[in-house]
Amino acid sequence: MATVTFRNVSKRYGAITALDSLDLEIGDGEFVSLLGPSGSGKSTTLNLLAGLISADSGTIHIGEREITHLPPEQRDLAMVFQNYALYPHMTVAENIAFPLEARKPRPGKDAIARNVSLVAETLGIGNLLARYPKEISGGQQQRVALGRAMVRDPRVFLLDEPLSNLDARLRVRMRRDLKELHRQIGSTIVYVTHDQSEAMTLSDRVAVFAHGQLQQVAPPREIYENPVNTFVANFVGDRETNFLDGILEGEKDMLFRSGSAVIKLGTQRLKNASQKVTLGVRPEAVTISRNADDGMCAEVIMTELAGAELFVYLRLISGQEIGMRCDPREVSLVTGETVSIRFDPHQIHLFDQESGQNIA
Amino acid sequence: MNRNPYMRLALRRAALRTVVNTVIVLFALAPIAWGVVSSLKPANQILEVPPRFIPQDVTLEHYERVIGDKGLLFLGNSALVSAITIVFALTIGSIAAYAIARYEFSGRRILMIFTIGVMSIPIASLLIPTFTLLSVVGLINTHVGLILLYTAYQLPIVIWMLYGYFLSLPIEVEQAARIDGHTALGTLRRVVLPLSKPALVAAALFVLVFSWNDFVVAVTMTSSESVRTFPVAVYFYLGFYGREWGPLLASAVISIIPITAIFIILQRYFISGLTGGGVKG
Repeated sequence: MATVTFRNVSKRYGAITALDSLDLEIGDGEFVSLLGPSGSGKSTTLNLLAGLISADSGTIHIGEREITHLPPEQRDLAMVFQNYALYPHMTVAENIAFPLEARKPRPGKDAIARNVSLVAETLGIGNLLARYPKEISGGQQQRVALGRAMVRDPRVFLLDEPLSNLDARLRVRMRRDLKELHRQIGSTIVYVTHDQSEAMTLSDRVAVFAHGQLQQVAPPREIYENPVNTFVANFVGDRETNFLDGILEGEKDMLFRSGSAVIKLGTQRLKNASQKVTLGVRPEAVTISRNADDGMCAEVIMTELAGAELFVYLRLISGQEIGMRCDPREVSLVTGETVSIRFDPHQIHLFDQESGQNIA
Repeated sequence: MNRNPYMRLALRRAALRTVVNTVIVLFALAPIAWGVVSSLKPANQILEVPPRFIPQDVTLEHYERVIGDKGLLFLGNSALVSAITIVFALTIGSIAAYAIARYEFSGRRILMIFTIGVMSIPIASLLIPTFTLLSVVGLINTHVGLILLYTAYQLPIVIWMLYGYFLSLPIEVEQAARIDGHTALGTLRRVVLPLSKPALVAAALFVLVFSWNDFVVAVTMTSSESVRTFPVAVYFYLGFYGREWGPLLASAVISIIPITAIFIILQRYFISGLTGGGVKG
């Protein structure tokens, strides 16, 4: 069982808390992404798990085994680094064989060579075995790094932004390959990224970090549809979420009022009664309203046609900007035009204005 | 004539630089050239007035004399002491430098400052206490005594050179080796040291130059012929009744040859770029 369990793990650097009492459980064979901006604690979490830094408090387990204070070589992990960290003085074959040579008892030369060529074939780098890292391309180096991790059949795979040095096309292809790889080998994978689309497309669950604290752990869809706070709502999704500050009115049939704009919310079950709220709505939940009395007036400032989608920047009378995402085959707008827009009430999120926490 | 004023200025600078460099080179090499040439002259022509740069008659008699006078034994002693000193200094030095470069422990900074600080103590000032120490422990007049002293003298500079180089290596490569299952020492041996070849070679040359050329420590700490190193043997040609210029110059030339040869052979290791391609970004 290669579950990974963090219990109350903290890491401080002087006055800065890099990670604040993390509790996180990763299931056997699960693909979990640690997502967050730089300095959020996601890399600290990975380095703690790898044993590259030591925790100030708390415990880390892999399966039943506590590894909190074990050196990295005793943890039985494999890691792919952002910069690949290949051994420059070794050929591709020697790079991939290197983890096997640390095994005790050390496998025979034939067994090592067999394993290396098997892994190299799987990754399509079988013809590069005699080359040195500086003689192959970035994408190929990436595959060698993956091969070096795969060859030892580890309990847990750690991937530290492995795709961020690749160009856009290659990144999308590697993303697919990674997912396929996970399906084949079925290992537990912990994947660190600051790219929300990577996290969303690859993972079984996403753990969102900010300011050294775990914000939310959930499957991608739930993260996207039910963000626990304004940070998660804004960070996840490739376009910014629209936020409006305003006041809640009414008991059963609730209204949201922000300046002159009024939005009917219908019946909402709120966890905390709060008057001052922030309303969050994703660009795709903004639509053009047919009947004017239902919507808010907005002026089109700019449009971006991005192939399959049309992204429209709008300005409300209050001056607030709203992003809208729509289908260019259904909607066509010109800059300066005034339209009436509405928010899909099912896709509206309400957050406490002070704490930023979701109250719906 | 080139009319471009910038070009003219650049040309004038280059010419000036060449002249200055030539003077420096001549100044530095003249004594060595004179020594080499004179060592090939018969004894009666060495101090001829007026001096002749090109020898009238060429002879190898001084070299034969030096080699015949147990010269090979002294050369062997020097080589043995230097080689073992290099092995000791690099082994201990690389482990120490790696620990200071990559491990966090209290007193790390002070240790490094101390290491650099002891380099400023002149060896001559330590001769009498070390002589006393060595005689008490019974290592006076032995190869082991010389090797230990040379290692001690050269360790700080070796640590300092390797420390700087280790810091410049990408740490992810070492972390990868650890995660791949190799111990700290295994990582040092199989990843860090192979990547540090230029620094190791440079440090080894430093140690070699010192231990091969050392005169003052060797002459103080040894007395018998069986452990005498070559520089001390050279000194013995400065006889009591007069200098024997021929063998003296020949032995001086012999002592220069191995170091010059090693420098030429190892030149290519100074070229950096050995770490290229390992990490990206």
